[in-house]
Amino acid sequence: MTCRTVRKLMPLFAGDDLGPRRARAVRAHVDACPACREELEGFRAALAEIRAAAKAEGVEDWSEREWDALMARVAAAPEREGRPAFGARWAAAAAAGAFLGLIVLGMLFRGPGPRPGGGPKEAAVVIAAAPGPQERVAITMVSPETGLQVVWFLDKNFDYEGERE
Amino acid sequence: MVLSGRTEAFEPLVTPYRGPVLALAYRLTRDREDAREVAQEALLKAFRSLGRFDVSRSFRNWLFQIAANEARDRRRRSRREREAYEAAAHEGAADAPAPGPAPEAHRERRETRSEIMRALQVLGPREREVFVLRDLEELDIRETSRVLGCSAVSVRVHLSRARRKIRDAIRRDSPHLEAKR
Repeated sequence: MTCRTVRKLMPLFAGDDLGPRRARAVRAHVDACPACREELEGFRAALAEIRAAAKAEGVEDWSEREWDALMARVAAAPEREGRPAFGARWAAAAAAGAFLGLIVLGMLFRGPGPRPGGGPKEAAVVIAAAPGPQERVAITMVSPETGLQVVWFLDKNFDYEGERE
Repeated sequence: MVLSGRTEAFEPLVTPYRGPVLALAYRLTRDREDAREVAQEALLKAFRSLGRFDVSRSFRNWLFQIAANEARDRRRRSRREREAYEAAAHEGAADAPAPGPAPEAHRERRETRSEIMRALQVLGPREREVFVLRDLEELDIRETSRVLGCSAVSVRVHLSRARRKIRDAIRRDSPHLEAKR
């Protein structure tokens, strides 16, 4: 390891924040290089000084009155219970999206509405099977009001292959 | 969580950390008033979110995470930080401890306090968060990254920069400390 590399790693090495492999390499270099050793001592001394200063600095604690007032605020604060977690909120959003999608699909297939005189009220569904080994299933949906036909094609595993109007 | 929603159970739970949370808020904001407000909001938020506390984590570090987020939000909202630093740097005489048997020691301590303030001032916001949590609050890299919601690599990068800046600031502003070595 070169001095340049070691000095790049020095701030982390000084605080024992390097992984064991790199730390061993830096240690080996520092043991053999007086200039880098001095650099290391500079970092360690600075860290020790600032930690000691931070401890000496101290921070004035809460007065009992302040603390009691805060605890009174806590007691008055309603807890946000029942708020769904992040994942649950996504699940709820997905369910709402699926529901909206179903409504849109329903409106598409519903057409313009019943005609006077009417006809059959229910959509006809026909499953057509081709001769020979069953490789594909076609499901035909017919709107009794508009006459619109939609055919869904599914393979033998019932995987959706496409549709035709 | 069992304690969720029970204020009488919340107080004994947070009492051991009232000092540490306030100290962290002060180190991040460098303003006594801001620190109190940050710590208060953090504890209120902690109470409200107690039901979502992951019991496999350290409760202290979870409180630190809330306080660090609160301090960051406050910093974004407020532009007063620079003024607070300047005020804090001149505050030494005003909140000096009562005269005691060793005035030399007190003077030295006051000087060191101003030095730490100046040294922290040179750090960017993220560098200061990382430095305070890792080097002053002594969290490890993993916990620091968890508290700040960033990667361990990012913590290492900011920590490295912060330590270099702190070392340079102490070298520049406090050559007597360097000379003592």
